[in-house]
Amino acid sequence: MITPPPFDADLLRRYDRPGPRYTSYPTAPQFSGKFSEANLLDVIKRSNEDPIPRPLSIYVHVPFCASPCFYCGCNRIITRDEKRGEKYLEDLRKEVAMVAPLFESDREVMQLHFGGGTPNFLSPAQLNEFMQFLLQHFHFSASENRDISIEIDPRCVKPNDVAALAAMGFNRASLGVQDFDPEVQAAVNRIQSVEETLAVIHACRENGFKSVNVDLIYGLPKQTVTGFAKTLDTVIEARPDRIAVYSYAHMPQLFKPQRQLDETLLPTPETKLSLLQLAIEKLSQAGYCYIGMDHFALPEDELAIAQERGDLHRNFMGYTTHADSDLIGLGVSSISHIGESFSQNPRDLPSWEAAVEARHLPIWRGMNLSEDDVIRADLIQRWMCQGEIDIGKFEERHNIYFHEYFGEDLKKLQSLEEDGLVTVSPTHLKATSRGRLLLRIIAACFDAYLNPSATVLQFSKTI
Amino acid sequence: MNVKRRISPIADDGDEIRFCSTCAFSSACLSEGFSKNSLQDLHVLVEHIGPFREGDHIFREGDDFNAIAAVRGGTVKTYVVDTDGNEQVQGFFLPGEVIGLNAIHHSKYPCNAVALDTVMLCRFSFPKMALLATKMPGLQTQLFRLLSQDIGKAALLAGDYSADQRMAAFLVALSRRYAARGFSATRFHLTMSRTDIANYLRLAPETVSRVLRRFQTEGLVQVERREIELSQFKQLEQLARPVLRD
Repeated sequence: MITPPPFDADLLRRYDRPGPRYTSYPTAPQFSGKFSEANLLDVIKRSNEDPIPRPLSIYVHVPFCASPCFYCGCNRIITRDEKRGEKYLEDLRKEVAMVAPLFESDREVMQLHFGGGTPNFLSPAQLNEFMQFLLQHFHFSASENRDISIEIDPRCVKPNDVAALAAMGFNRASLGVQDFDPEVQAAVNRIQSVEETLAVIHACRENGFKSVNVDLIYGLPKQTVTGFAKTLDTVIEARPDRIAVYSYAHMPQLFKPQRQLDETLLPTPETKLSLLQLAIEKLSQAGYCYIGMDHFALPEDELAIAQERGDLHRNFMGYTTHADSDLIGLGVSSISHIGESFSQNPRDLPSWEAAVEARHLPIWRGMNLSEDDVIRADLIQRWMCQGEIDIGKFEERHNIYFHEYFGEDLKKLQSLEEDGLVTVSPTHLKATSRGRLLLRIIAACFDAYLNPSATVLQFSKTI
Repeated sequence: MNVKRRISPIADDGDEIRFCSTCAFSSACLSEGFSKNSLQDLHVLVEHIGPFREGDHIFREGDDFNAIAAVRGGTVKTYVVDTDGNEQVQGFFLPGEVIGLNAIHHSKYPCNAVALDTVMLCRFSFPKMALLATKMPGLQTQLFRLLSQDIGKAALLAGDYSADQRMAAFLVALSRRYAARGFSATRFHLTMSRTDIANYLRLAPETVSRVLRRFQTEGLVQVERREIELSQFKQLEQLARPVLRD
């Protein structure tokens, strides 16, 4: 997958329709409020009883941000009050103390990720204290493969912060940039200089971080091809290991912060497509590989290597090299994926706090996957990572006759096949180079829950 | 609509004329010239019972013994609780295998039997079966064979074997037992928890996982959740030889 995906504006325009991004299957709207604490306890107990229990991944959500970015669709709370962080950490420790003992002690943590919000809203001292607490309660792998990552807002980084993060074990960072164009930054209420951003990238390098990711967004108000080209050039020159280029999904009915944004300043669909085309061309020319969805990586980055090997995975934290692990989500709104279940913590802070303080596992909703869910989840995950399904191997893994089991789904694929997005042979399902930018449209054909009338409100558009 | 090809061990159920595919007694009866039909005529109680759900007890230690039962589908675990209150796993019973044989000597069941997944049984009234055996030497021979197998099974793991040898013996024995009933010898679902496997093999649960992980690295097995594939059967047999004594 080294060659860049060809850009076909007409095709992308035709398929620019809402659909899930498949960080999970079934997707979160399918979770049910009936999934209880007892269900989760049972699922965890079972996960401990596999002959080789899966390793663990931990996601910690830090919901606070010092100022509101108007494009944000995340779950966050705007505050400058450090005491709120202190109180939140106190409750997180309560959650850890409840959850950690439920997992057998020989289950190693291979991956830990802090996301937000703004994880570095918390000071290095606060993060360090919490990290020590995690290390005491979970058994962290000593392997070099161990990933400890954090999303960083460069605007909140003080000179020695990165060194402090490295000292407590962080080895991957993801930096929010979006666009360096001052007019765009003003329109989205996120003023961030090139200098402070590059300083953080350099600090990560100097402190031995294994990888640095930069997030960009296209489709923001006031964005122009010229301005975004400059941003891309600046980022490429800094040569982060990974670059994500997300499409801005304007859904003010769903995400309150977006209502502050001046809709009239949004680029036209044509400009938006040109921005995507520009990003793909520039990143490919600069030697970045297209991994899938919105993600690019240098060829020597683990993600690109894993994809070449057919060993790439995808979970709520995005693409990863870690084979199936059980994911524990901590903090408000976090999602756990343990055994064959999904479960999500309350999305609002007071409910999460109340549950944790009453010493209950904070569960808002979830689901146990059916046998059919498990088969489709495996198909969709492989598809989103490799853009290819080896039918023989898939049949063997799940004891099914592929063409019969997915008979109805394959019919839905026919029009996509005619459009040259995918090839279906008796032995393989394969995305064409044209289809690689539309992986999730193809994956959606295998989604048993997808009801065309319901998707408009719940999901963002593809491009 | 959705077509699945099932290979998980569940007996092909018989009917009034045919025996179940895994029946522990069908060949003995047939070789004696008794069809299932004629057994009914002899009023031998052959009763299909179940389903038992995961965790359901089939009998408990001390219950009055009156029947043995052949497993038609699922896995049954037998265990006792020692004087310190610790569970000791005695064995696992797969489709086609018979539980309750160790009660024949007593008038009460000497252990507990619990379903590990959805279990279907075929229940034989023991007094009537014993009576029938006096008229059918083939059936009697089969009963003795089952009894001696049951005694032998427990003694095997009592020796001074390494964790690797125990684990290999466990996998090879399971494979042979599945194969004997017409199921895949190299790919099966481990219905027992790692705690149960560890208890049965007298190992720590972490050791069970550590040994399996190493077997996997060495290419002997492939484990995905509870599905296990024996990739290098000969090597596993070699490793298991001292325990299985063959």
